[in-house]
Parts: sequence; structure tokens; C-alpha cells
Amino acid sequence: MAETNLKSEKKDELDLSKTEEILAKYEGAKGAIIPILQKIQLEYGYLPESAIDLVAERLNTSASELIGVSTFYAQFHLKPRGKHIVKVCCGTACHVKNSRGLTTKVHQKLKIHKNETTEDKMFTFEEVSCLGACGIAPVVVIDSSVHGEISPDEFEKLLDEYKNTNRE
Amino acid sequence: MKTVHLTIDDKSITAPEGTNIFQAALDNNIYIPGLCYHPKLSQFGGCRLCYVEVTERKQTRHRFACAYPVSEGMEVKVNTDEVNRHRKAVMEYLLAHHELACPTCNKSGECGLQNIAHELNMSPGRFKTVRMSAPVIRDNPVLELNRNRCVLCGRCVSACKEIEGVGAIDFQNRGFSTVIGTAFDRPLDCSFCGGCLAVCPTGAWQDRTLGFSGRPWEFESVQTICSYCSVGCTIVLNTKQGSVRRVVSNDKLGINEGNLCVKGRFGHEFIHSPERIKTPLIKKDGGFQPAGWEDAIAVVSEKLKQIKEKYGSNAIGGIGSEKCTNEENYLFQKFCRTVLGTNRINNMPNLKSPFLNDLIYKSVESGFATDSLKEIENANTLFFFGVDVTEAIPVVGCMARKAIKLNAANVVIAHPRNVVFKNTAKNDVRLTYSLGTQHILLNAIIKVVVENNLVDLKKIESLASNFRSLRSSLENFSLSDIERLSGVTPEVIRRAAELLMKPGNCCIVYGKDVVEDPLGEDTMKMLLDLCALIDVSNRSDIHPGKVSLFSARYHNNSQGVNDMGVVPEFLPGYLDINNTANREKIEKLWGVRFSENIISKNSLNLVDLGKNGNIKSLYVMGADPIAEHPNGKEARECIKNSEFIVVQDSFMTETAKLADVVFPSSTFAEKEGTYTNTGLTVQRLNRAIFPVGEAKPDWEIICDVSKKMGQSFSYVNTKEITEEIKKAAPVYSSLSYDRLKRKEFHWPSLLSAKKESNKYTFYAIQVKSLKVKGEKEFPFILMTGASLNHQGYYSARSKALVSVAPECFIEINDRDAKDMQIKTGDMVMVESRQGKLKLRAKVTRKSPSGIVFVPDAYANTPVNVLIYQAHTPVKIYAVSEK
Repeated sequence: MAETNLKSEKKDELDLSKTEEILAKYEGAKGAIIPILQKIQLEYGYLPESAIDLVAERLNTSASELIGVSTFYAQFHLKPRGKHIVKVCCGTACHVKNSRGLTTKVHQKLKIHKNETTEDKMFTFEEVSCLGACGIAPVVVIDSSVHGEISPDEFEKLLDEYKNTNRE
Repeated sequence: MKTVHLTIDDKSITAPEGTNIFQAALDNNIYIPGLCYHPKLSQFGGCRLCYVEVTERKQTRHRFACAYPVSEGMEVKVNTDEVNRHRKAVMEYLLAHHELACPTCNKSGECGLQNIAHELNMSPGRFKTVRMSAPVIRDNPVLELNRNRCVLCGRCVSACKEIEGVGAIDFQNRGFSTVIGTAFDRPLDCSFCGGCLAVCPTGAWQDRTLGFSGRPWEFESVQTICSYCSVGCTIVLNTKQGSVRRVVSNDKLGINEGNLCVKGRFGHEFIHSPERIKTPLIKKDGGFQPAGWEDAIAVVSEKLKQIKEKYGSNAIGGIGSEKCTNEENYLFQKFCRTVLGTNRINNMPNLKSPFLNDLIYKSVESGFATDSLKEIENANTLFFFGVDVTEAIPVVGCMARKAIKLNAANVVIAHPRNVVFKNTAKNDVRLTYSLGTQHILLNAIIKVVVENNLVDLKKIESLASNFRSLRSSLENFSLSDIERLSGVTPEVIRRAAELLMKPGNCCIVYGKDVVEDPLGEDTMKMLLDLCALIDVSNRSDIHPGKVSLFSARYHNNSQGVNDMGVVPEFLPGYLDINNTANREKIEKLWGVRFSENIISKNSLNLVDLGKNGNIKSLYVMGADPIAEHPNGKEARECIKNSEFIVVQDSFMTETAKLADVVFPSSTFAEKEGTYTNTGLTVQRLNRAIFPVGEAKPDWEIICDVSKKMGQSFSYVNTKEITEEIKKAAPVYSSLSYDRLKRKEFHWPSLLSAKKESNKYTFYAIQVKSLKVKGEKEFPFILMTGASLNHQGYYSARSKALVSVAPECFIEINDRDAKDMQIKTGDMVMVESRQGKLKLRAKVTRKSPSGIVFVPDAYANTPVNVLIYQAHTPVKIYAVSEK
């Protein structure tokens, strides 16, 4: 709209044909923003910028509005995520049982902070508030398997295991 | 609508059913504190400050005034102890992490948050203050966002989406981390209308053009009319120590409801530009020498007398201004016709479309153009034909979006390019027709209307005298022919015709691409025929409605300059100059006798005459024919052929550079007078500052020159000229300069009263086929048009606008660009048979394949050097940056 950015034309190399397919499926449907975003995330693992721009163009809305929606819901992610999602519970019970030790382990081992992904796109680390399993605190959830009463050292071994299974 | 009676703080009031308590209080001047509710925007209910006590049906409860509708017998208390306790608590939360930078905040003094904190007598709260320290976002030249001062009221988000249709900003994240921002924190990429700034109740959004050049309480505010496009928005100039520091809007003033575009709000810096001409200039040895007023006027008077004696008065030509006031233009034509004794006068819009005056007057007479622009807000159907509303008349776009929001209006847009008009209309039909086929398209719409009985044909036969000839004019083309020629499918045409004929108010806005087309006159006549059909269908008893036709003029006073008779054919007020009675009337009023040559012969226009060497001297007031005439080369020849050229302008325009004497004229901020906008509404200017340098208002300069030439015009102020206009121009006869201070004057209201039972006569234009095609060597067709960010010299001398849009560009269709391997940002050479121009490419889908578009509004890029005919073919090739 404004003519300020004439010089910089950034081209994303992302294949948008999948987004096109998803959009075609919802053509003309009202109130379809969330299902469309969900489908796109399912396809790419996250919501890529160029896909958002395309959706905005087609739905006659703005990218800001779509980002408004997607940053409101915890289920949407705007950055690529790793193959394994590591969630460390930092709720009260886990905190008392040294969940801080677990998070430090992640920083040391994977060199990432919370909500970040390792460079090899293997792990994404998230801190969660309570998983409702305070009886087995501290709790770590990797993908969908729950590991309770875990010590930092055990946690380290566990991360290694995940790393190694993927190497093979 | 049902009216409801209620009391607020023991004051009995009435309000329409469905109104919320907050709005009802506002309408009755009762104050309820609140930060998120805004009458222009949809209700949000986020700030929680408008907490009131409501008693209805014998139950007392607490409610939020902006989120609760009024009901019969309701009692509202705004200031109980309980209410104030709540309000204070909310304010405590808001202030707990507010920056409290009032001493250095530009908003201080007009800040909603500050006002409420003050009136609630807030003291340090119970909460420990945690100030936020988010960096201030300054990613664009005009707006600054300081999130630390934001209270998340959401007004800016709604204004951006609902009024401007852009949606550049929205709430991001959730809970404590919620902020206002753009997607992916990209730099703000919007139309920079500043709507966010206008509605922001705190200092979160700031006007960067203000800088720290004044505090709100130091400013003097003067309400006046914007000097850019033809909408005629009311703006408020804030001045301090004799200079304009910023422009603000006022929701309660004018036709624009406080909405402005980037030019109106941020394009004021030209007033104090160092490039303003400050003294009269006389050309000596090829260069300009500053001179005193006396000397310069003496030279002009002497020279003009000489030319008159040597070649006769007809050798002098005059060009009036679409930027100057009505009074100045009136005086200009009086000066030319009496002092100079020439009728060879004209103005730029009339040179471009000479048929338009007549047809606009006819459309007023037929009752199709009798409403003010405000009527767009009441539209049920909007039809934009050959006009890029977003770029050319942006605030009309805001009015249209209001109609879409409130009346669920439908939109039909016909344009050769895929123009952008962001809206939320349920039906938004786009007719993207091939260039040159606008009249075929219109013929098709009329054909569908008539053949599908979308209107009561019997009624038309009784109301119009020649329906049969209209019918026969529809037989030349079948719908499939029309699809082949215009590229618009019969289904889409049918859809458009149905929407246009839907009962209710229909507003039609047509613009440049219609009236500057070679077939513009025919197209306009067909448009009038279509209006007649819509008018008949709207005369139903069940859904009465009306049709309103607006011509989107280019400049702030393009209409007024024609109303004032700066054209060869008409005396002021469209009185035929060849009619003896009219001439006698004006002669009597002016106390003169016109010489024989003050008649209009159907001869060449002024520029053609000049080109052929028939004009020896040109007097140009506030116009730049070299830059503004469609054919820049011809205009330059016309100027060059003249022996003596006088220019009155505020800046050194291309024409002024070739002048022999240049008089410095003052800008709109420095003078009084009236402008007539595109909706034929006359509005009054108010002087905000004294003229810059030695500049004078144009009317004073003309008075001085004519006095020197021996014919003194004895006007003391503009009011006297307005009084004379009233007597001269019948359409302005009930204008009152004093009343204009309170209310604008709409001139068709005088004519529409007369016309009632006249039968409409169809023009029934026989449609020809016109195919616009590129040539082998020059494969593209060049289109030009308005730009949102620029309009001539004023915008080019406003720093903010130049930084928003620093450079002109050429829009190339993405497929064409791919074939030529041109990318956005590349330099390309655009070449026609007449000239060439280097421009930066912008690859887009807005222009269809085979058409390139260059805005004609960048003063430093004279695109008219390329143009020698309508639809000029050009070629494009990549060149290096240098």
C-alpha cells in the first residue's frame, strides 16, 4: 500500500501449493479462519509468514488480524517447531521438586531457551504451568510420553536417548 | 424508530431504541468517563470505566454504559460512591503500569487517561508501579507507537479496520503480553490516514510531524478546508507563533466526520517550506531577480498594455486555478474579461474534459446530482465507475465503508484496473473492463436492466419521452459480443445490474477514467440514462430511494473554478455567454460594456491556440499547465510561444520557471474564501496565519494589477467578492458568507426545488466499438491517475509525504514483468513516440496485462511528457540505476 518498500522484495521459497489447496477447500465459507490456520499448521508444522499473507489476501482480511487470532491461541505457532516437543512442568509442586534443575539441563544440553527450537530442528523446549500430575513431580513430557519423578541426570540420559534414536 | 425515555443523573432525556447508555449520554451532553467507546466505532467494552448504576423494572444493578442499551423508564446514575470506587480501582490498574510520562508526552493536555485521572483525583495507588519499557516503534515517517502508554482500548484497531478498511494493526498475544501491533512486527504498511492517532485516548500513537514543536494548550485552532483533493474535508490547523504546527481533525465538523487521509493530516509542511516563493520575481537575463511589489506590478501592467495594443486583447489568455478559492477565480475571470478584454480563459479540468460542465449542470437539473457527498453514507448501493476511490478521494471511501457497515450497502466497482477498495460488503461486484470499452459496458448494464424487466418499463414509458430510441440503442451488441470486447462476463454484468436496480439509495461516483476518455462524453450521457432508470425504479412506494451522481473532481476547487465561469462558454454560474440577456445582466452588475470579442466561438481551446501562436501573453493564476495538462509537450509549446507570461503561485512550478514575472501567492492557510467540493457543496476557509514572506492572496494580487491597469476593483475583503458572486451566479444566489461559518452551502438545493414533473429525455447513445491496443513497437498502454500520497507541488514540498512515498513508480502487471524479467524495484525506461521517462518498477496484479500505470501526482515526475493522446502506447525496457 505505502510505496516505501519498493526496493526490497523478499521472496519466500516456501511451497504454497498446500496452502492453496486448503484455501480452495474453504472457499466461500464464513468464519473459517481457525480451521484454515489449523490445517496449515498441520501441513507445515507451524504458520509460515508467506502462508499467512496468502490467507489474508484470499480471505479479504489483513495479516495483522490473522496474527491477532493465532497469537491469542496457544495452539498456533509462528516459528518452525522441532521433531520432539519437550515440556517441563514448572508448576508449584514441580518447582518445589527442583524443576529449575531440569530446565537448566535443557539450556546446557540443547543450547535453547524456552519456546525455542534447536538448530537441527530436533527439539523444541516449552515450559508449562501444570500438567495435573503433581503426585509424580517433577514431570517432563516429551511428545506424548510422561516421565515423572525425574532427576536432572535421568533427564539428560532421556534426551540422549531421543537424540540417538533419531541418528539411526 | 421507537424513542425511549430515561433519566441520567435526574436529567430526563430521550434516545432511539437500541442506543447504548454511553451514546445517549453523549448526545445529551452528559459526561460519562470512558476510554474505549467511540461514537464512530463499533462498541468494544474493554476499558471498564463507564461503570454506572442502572435502575430498571425496580431493580438496581451496575452496568457498563457503552455495553448496555437504554430502555423505557430507565434511571441511570453516573456518580454514586459505589460507581466512583469501582472507577478508581480500574484507573489504579491502568496507571499501575502506565508510563506516566506526561511532562514529555505530546498528548498531555488532550489525553483521555490524564483527564480521567485528574477528575477522579487519583493519588498513588495501592499497587507497586511496574513501568513498562518497550522500545518506541518508529518504523514509518508519520506515526509513532509507544506501547508503554497504551491502555489496549482497541480504538485504533477498530478505526483501522472499520473506517480505513486496512486492518494494519491488531491485538497481538494474550493476557499480560497483549500489545497493539502489526503481523510479525513488520513495519507499519498502511495508508497512513492517521485514524489511529485521531481516536487514541492516550499518548500511545503520536504524530511525528509535530515533533516537539508545541503543546496542545499553546495552539490556536482554526477550522478550515483541506487543499488537496476534491472531497473538501474540514481540517483544524493548530498554529503557534504564526506557524502551522500540525493538522488535527474534529469529528463534529464538516462532511468528513474527522476522517482524513495521509495528505490531509500530515501534508501541511509545504506551508512553511523553504522553497516557497517569498517575493515577486522578475526575469532578467534568463534568471529571476527578486523585486518589490510595485515594480513587478508596473512591469506586468505595462507589458500587458503593450501586447493588447500590438496584437489586440484576444492575444492574451488566462488560466484559472483549481486550487484557488471561488472568490479568486471569480475575480480572475472578471479581470480577464474586463481589464484584459479577453474571453480566452480556461482552467485545467475544463481543458481536459470540456463537456463536463454542461453535463454536471444537466445532471443537477434532472435531479440526479442534488445531494451532498454526505449522502454516500446513506447509500444502499454504491457504484464507483472509472474512479480509484482509495487513491483519488480516500475519505469518500471512508463514507462508503460507513454505508456498508450501517446499511449493509452493496458495492459495484467498474474500472479498467483492479483497483483496491477494501470493504466488508456482502456483495462486492467488480467489473474489470478492457480499456476503451466503458460505454459498451454501460450499454450492457442498461440492456440487462431493460431486457430483464429490472425496472417497470411502463412507468418509464410514461416518464420519459423517447424510451423507444433507448431500446433501439441497445440492439447493436449482444451480451456475448460485449463479453468478447469488454472482457466482462454476462453473469457479472447481470449481477451488477441487479444490484444497481435494487430499491434504496444508489450513489454513483464517476471519475477521471470516465471523463478523460475519448468517449467520455458519450459514457457520461449513458450514465445519465442509467440514472433515469434507477430513479424510476426507486420511485416505488414500498422502498423509496434516490439516485445521486457525483463527479470525482481532481483538486480541491476543480468544481468551483468552473462554477465561477473561468471557461470560455459560461459567465459565472453557467450563464451562457452568447446569450445577450446574460451578458447584459453581468455588464450591469460590473458596470462595464463587454467588447465584441467576449463571446464563445466553438474554436480551438487555449492550449491549441497557444500552440499555433495565437496567444502572445498568458496570465496564469495558481495552475501549472506544463505539469497538469494531459499533453505536457503541447502545454510547454503553448507557454514558449508566448512573449510575456505572468504566473501567480506559491512554488516555482514548471510553468513559473518559464514566466517573465512571478507573483508569490499565499496558500490556503493564509487566506479566506470558499471552495466548492466535488459534491457541489460550498465551504468556507478561515485564515490561520499571516502570509509567509511577502506573499499575498491571489485576489489581492489581481486587485493590485487591475488598479495599476486603470480599472480599480474596490474589494476590501473576500466577503465583498462573495456578495458579488451571489448576484452574478444564480446557483450561488442564496449563499451567505456569514452563515458558511456554521453550515456549508449546497448549490443544487436551489435548482432541485424547481424541477419536479419534467419528462426525462434519454440520450440513447449509439455505441461504437473501440478497441485500444498497443502497437508493435510500443506494446503497452499507459494509464495515469491519482495517488493517495501525492498531489502536485504541495505534497512534493511536505517532508512527511515525501518520506512516505519518495519516488514515482510504474505499475507493471506481474505476467508482463515476468516476460521482461523485471522485478519490483528495478529501474525501467518508459518510452512513447513523444518522450521517455525513467521510473522504478512496481510489479503488481492491479494493472491488467498490457496496461501500465503511472501516477500523475508526483510533481517531480512529469509523466505527461510521454502522453500525446488518450491511451498512449509505450514500451518498457530495463535500464541501470544511474
